[in-house]
Amino acid sequence: MLDIQNLHARVEDKPILKGINLAIKSGEMHAVMGRNGSGKSTLSNVITGREGFTVTQGDVNYKGESILDWSPEDRALAGIFMSFQYPIVIPGVNNTYFLKAALNAKRKHEGEKELDAAGFLKLIKQKLAELDMDTTYLQRGVNEGFSGGEKKRNEILQMLTLQPDLAILDETDSGLDIDALKIIAEGVNQFRNVDRSLLVITHYQRLLKYIKPDVVHVLIDGQIVRSGGKELALELEEKGYNWLES
Amino acid sequence: MSLSHFQSEFEKLINRDNFPEKIHSQRQEAFSKFLNTGIPTQKWEDWQFTNLTRIAKGKYRICETQDVPNNEREFPSFKMEGVNTIVIYNGHYQEKLSSIPSGVQILSGLDYLERKNWENNNPENSPFDLLNTAFMDSGVSIVVEPGTDLETPIRMLFISSGKEPIMTSPRVHVDLGESSSATFVEHHADNSESFFQNGSVFISLEDYAQLDHIRIQSNSEKTANMGNLHIEQNCNSRYTFFQFAHGAELGRLNIHANLRGEGADCSLNGLALSNGNQHLDNHVITDHQVPNCTSTQNFKSVLQDNSSGVFNGRTIVRKDAQKTDSSQSNKNLLLSKSALMNSNPQLEIYADDVKCAHGSTTGALDDDALFYIRSRGLDILAAKTVLIRGFATELLESVKHDGIRYLLTDRFDAWLSENTAS
Repeated sequence: MLDIQNLHARVEDKPILKGINLAIKSGEMHAVMGRNGSGKSTLSNVITGREGFTVTQGDVNYKGESILDWSPEDRALAGIFMSFQYPIVIPGVNNTYFLKAALNAKRKHEGEKELDAAGFLKLIKQKLAELDMDTTYLQRGVNEGFSGGEKKRNEILQMLTLQPDLAILDETDSGLDIDALKIIAEGVNQFRNVDRSLLVITHYQRLLKYIKPDVVHVLIDGQIVRSGGKELALELEEKGYNWLES
Repeated sequence: MSLSHFQSEFEKLINRDNFPEKIHSQRQEAFSKFLNTGIPTQKWEDWQFTNLTRIAKGKYRICETQDVPNNEREFPSFKMEGVNTIVIYNGHYQEKLSSIPSGVQILSGLDYLERKNWENNNPENSPFDLLNTAFMDSGVSIVVEPGTDLETPIRMLFISSGKEPIMTSPRVHVDLGESSSATFVEHHADNSESFFQNGSVFISLEDYAQLDHIRIQSNSEKTANMGNLHIEQNCNSRYTFFQFAHGAELGRLNIHANLRGEGADCSLNGLALSNGNQHLDNHVITDHQVPNCTSTQNFKSVLQDNSSGVFNGRTIVRKDAQKTDSSQSNKNLLLSKSALMNSNPQLEIYADDVKCAHGSTTGALDDDALFYIRSRGLDILAAKTVLIRGFATELLESVKHDGIRYLLTDRFDAWLSENTAS
């Protein structure tokens, strides 16, 4: 699904990623853990094509194709999704309009019939129920006046609606209370199947209590210094990151 | 600057004027004052960002009988559902194209002045009001009797058409009696190749009267549209104004609202969309003269290409106007690096127990927001459209009447698709 080879990237003049190698197969969930500033968010931004991140070496292959020259929308239409660490507020644009436009862009891309208002409403109401979200959500502006938890829930709602093949969860657990965390974890677990891959980027192993990664990677100063099973997350929780630093 | 051209047009007007002598003296007085002030230059503080060269050098002539259409034109593109429309074509009232509403008095300028014993409103604060008084030629007046709720909006459609450099000076009064309510739409449109309209509109609201006023400025790109809007509000009256402006090469609206009765509420709003070399300008004064009034100014502009805009908003809170609650907001979206916006929100507060807020922001489309939208699979054009629509929605949605809102939303969408392509 995703194959990252020797990826170097910088922000402005500052090198952030210094040779990342990471391969995620279909059906796998990987977690990337690291402290603030280790390059976690740069990694997700490079995969999704955000401007301002310059790749200086290496490649990112998705389903066998290099995507580094692709626009963000082409990556999205090909099935890559990121749940943002800081979801953006778009005042005046309501969630229904936005999410319907996004879903229909994808359906159109896949040669499917676009959903009409009624069809979309039926679908979205079911997803809202799964995430224990209120239908008043539909009339509100995108993330407008949302609490931190509501914003994160909205990201997961978008993920469940758009049904990507590769989902990147960038610090989705931060700012969530335990109930919201459980609901989101449940949503993610339902989303998992043999055809989908997940990359979970996180600071703490909190979320990993509820969603179990197949592989855990530790990112320090732009490099993956250790990879292991889910027990590595527990070890990090106990010992911190210092013991892995050279 | 020579005003001789205006002088000769004025003499032509006076010689053929079918208004009574009483009006002549008012015209003459106003015109001689106008000759003294002249057309404002950019050295005038209120006009420093407004280039009036095209008006000064335009050699416009007053409208003539031959300026009316030869055969009755239909105006399908100006169709608006659920309103009564009064059509004024190149300065001439078109009875056959108009539908006169019932339950309200629609008066010619002459009849209105007669009824008012020839007492004219002669605001002296602007050369263009003086020019309007001197040349007033068209427009009608609306008088709503006390207690009347007028459900169907009244629209005045000002059509400017043809190749001739015509100057029109419509003068409109809208008087709402106590506890009456109405919706008034000013609609300026069509395809003229050279036109200068200098309109003065006077709104008077008695106690508890409510008026929704919508101004649609869709003039052709070769037009100069000067609007002078005066509002007088008595106790507990409510006035809501929204201008949707996307036309004219030079469009400027001067609003002066006087809140002189306690409990009055005045909401002034505008959305301006400009491209090419257009210049769209709003100068807004809200004057709180008495206690316990509320007011808002909320103006937004979207600017493309080399277009420019101005927001100059002033909220004055007089010494006696305690417990005033007012807010002022100006937000502008620059779609091009060469677009220019001048924003100047001002509060002048002389009372000590008031609540006033103001703010202004001008910037390009937010890159983070664009990326967020694109990361959900919408292309860059769609992403821009989503953001600009979101910016304008609040104002478009505030239009309560369905027919008017549909028309404005259509115009907005058309503008967006033409102006986000590059």
